[in-house]
Amino acid sequence: MDNNLFENLHAEGLISEGSIEKIRQRKAQPLLFSVHWEIRTLLYVGVLLLTSGSGLLIYDNIDTIGHQVVLMLIALICAGSLLYCFKTKLPFSREKVKSPNSYFDYVLLLGSITLVSFIGYLQYQYGVFGTHYGMATLIPMLALFFIAYYFDHLGILSMAIANLAVWMGVTVTPKELLLHSDFNSQAIVLTYLVLGLILLSAAWATQHFAFKGHFKFSYQHYGIHVTYIAFLAGYFLFYDSVAAFGFMMGIALLSAVMYNDAFSSKSFYFLLLVVLYSYIAISSLVVRVLFLVGDIGAIYLLLLYFIGSAIGMIMLLINLNKKLKAA
Amino acid sequence: MIAYNKTWLANLRLQQQVKNHTDHGDISDSEFKAIAEKYPVGFYSPNIFVRVGLFILTCIIVLFADGLLSLMAASGNLIESTGWFIFLGLLSYGGLELMVNGKNHFRSGVDDALVFTAGGLFIIAFGIMVLSIHNVAGGFLPFTMLVFPLTLYLTLRFADMLATAVCYGSFLWMIFLYWTKVGNVATAPFVLMLISGLTYWLSRKCSNHNRFINYDNCLGVMQVLSLLALYAAGNYYAIDTLSTELMHQTGPVAFGIFFWLWTILMPFVYLGFGIKQKNRILLRTGLLLVVAAVLTFRNYYHLLQVDIMLTIAGIVVLALVYAISKYLKTPKHGFTNAEPDDINAMDSLKIESLIVAETFSHTPAGPANDGAKFGGGDFGGGGSSSSF
Repeated sequence: MDNNLFENLHAEGLISEGSIEKIRQRKAQPLLFSVHWEIRTLLYVGVLLLTSGSGLLIYDNIDTIGHQVVLMLIALICAGSLLYCFKTKLPFSREKVKSPNSYFDYVLLLGSITLVSFIGYLQYQYGVFGTHYGMATLIPMLALFFIAYYFDHLGILSMAIANLAVWMGVTVTPKELLLHSDFNSQAIVLTYLVLGLILLSAAWATQHFAFKGHFKFSYQHYGIHVTYIAFLAGYFLFYDSVAAFGFMMGIALLSAVMYNDAFSSKSFYFLLLVVLYSYIAISSLVVRVLFLVGDIGAIYLLLLYFIGSAIGMIMLLINLNKKLKAA
Repeated sequence: MIAYNKTWLANLRLQQQVKNHTDHGDISDSEFKAIAEKYPVGFYSPNIFVRVGLFILTCIIVLFADGLLSLMAASGNLIESTGWFIFLGLLSYGGLELMVNGKNHFRSGVDDALVFTAGGLFIIAFGIMVLSIHNVAGGFLPFTMLVFPLTLYLTLRFADMLATAVCYGSFLWMIFLYWTKVGNVATAPFVLMLISGLTYWLSRKCSNHNRFINYDNCLGVMQVLSLLALYAAGNYYAIDTLSTELMHQTGPVAFGIFFWLWTILMPFVYLGFGIKQKNRILLRTGLLLVVAAVLTFRNYYHLLQVDIMLTIAGIVVLALVYAISKYLKTPKHGFTNAEPDDINAMDSLKIESLIVAETFSHTPAGPANDGAKFGGGDFGGGGSSSSF
């Protein structure tokens, strides 16, 4: 790299005297090499190793240790971490609160995980909630939401959202969503739809009432995927009935709302999702119409449609990008 | 050689440097604008989200366009020949040159996708061609000899990181196959060590050189892969597997002690040099390879049960983290634990929170028959964390 770059720019009159002075000062300071992310990754790996190791250790030796001791241990870890967090946290605010030190987030994570395990363990071993299985997942979920808001922790908010889905009997994490869910039942599709709409309303409410505005991304991220996938799944499930039309209208409506929202919050990510999911919806309609024709000509038309439409989508995306930047 | 406008590439680097100082508040926005006007960049390179979108859409276009052409050509028995895929590859390549030279796309997703499809189609063509002449086992060497120059060309022309990775892989594979054919299998690991060490040295040397400044990212990829290959060439497990497969030898490997030392010590050598030279690539590769060393060792010697080992490893790692961050509370020897302040595009995706949700959210699965009320949810990975 050209070391005299800024001096040259200064000589050309493009950088003022004050600015070049600041740059010279910065260059005079020794350059620090940050190992922040390496340390953070190690910390994460360490927590993961320790929790899975001790989990297995207890699992293998449950006969000699006994359930009460294990429960005590979990409760102690949980209480200890949460106590630490209560003591060191910064005062609550409706805005984003920074964590007081770099361990805080992880201690809180440990506390939350052990809390959830504790309740799960109680139910599994002693059946505290009896046959009220809903309660066994409802209580950890409420606890997680409370912790996420009270201590301002995005990771725990994501856990809480995943737990909300578990409580409703479905799942939202991408891997599970892709590998293990089946959309062939009316109940599941509708559950997903309700869940998605709840999450999207939560995203809207977060912004509208200016309460933890930075949580909006998490709600909307899960909400938009779940809702679109539920609508599409519903469309294919009710393919031959009139209801399919309703699901398509749902997609159109969702796209319109999300499109406006992406513009008002200037989010390229959500704009891309709106464009891609809408494209899938429109294409499945076109494919349906062309299959009705059903001869070799239709196949040619189909291929031509995909080529033409994808070119169109590229132009659209480029234009939208320009528009969003200017907005 | 490089397809992109060199002046613009230079200006882009200049603008990025200036932008860095603008973000730190050294240079005002109006100054930045003046500089950007004086040193313009005419590329079309949108942000990462648009890039992903354009990549997907371009792949769709190529897929269906090739499908349409193949359908039309199907009647004439054209598509069974090797030439057909070469033809399709050339079409993609033509489109690529057109987008890069005519429309000034640079890392826009469109050019990425076209490099990908053009390279992929040529490689398929080579595969068919080689298979029609040789049997499977004998075909690998000529195959790599075709893939290597192709991807080398794509690397030099478009400075594409994926092409670089394939190029380096095919290069090493070619050397290995050639050596095991004409030379002797037992010395192959040493040859590979020599070659990968040499390529590492070469790529470090080149990355300091102004002539190769446009290939900075490719040289980075080459450094990572060279380091990995250098380690793998002497890894005990790799040697053991290869000697069983190729020489049908079972039992301990010759020079076993040397390979064990290599397996265990090399990651720490990387780490040591990484710290000494403040080289992020060495440091991160070293950290990754410590894991590989531990796994290799465990594959042969079960000193401890999994659970005890995981627990101890967790405690050791956490203690290490604690010690390092205590030590670096105030920056020492040019190292700091402070968050780097350059703004990362991916930060807006809040990756960390998504990873936490992905790895830890299996735990709260209630009792298995919880679904009685809502109709089965599926919670995999039970027992992976905490006390279930």
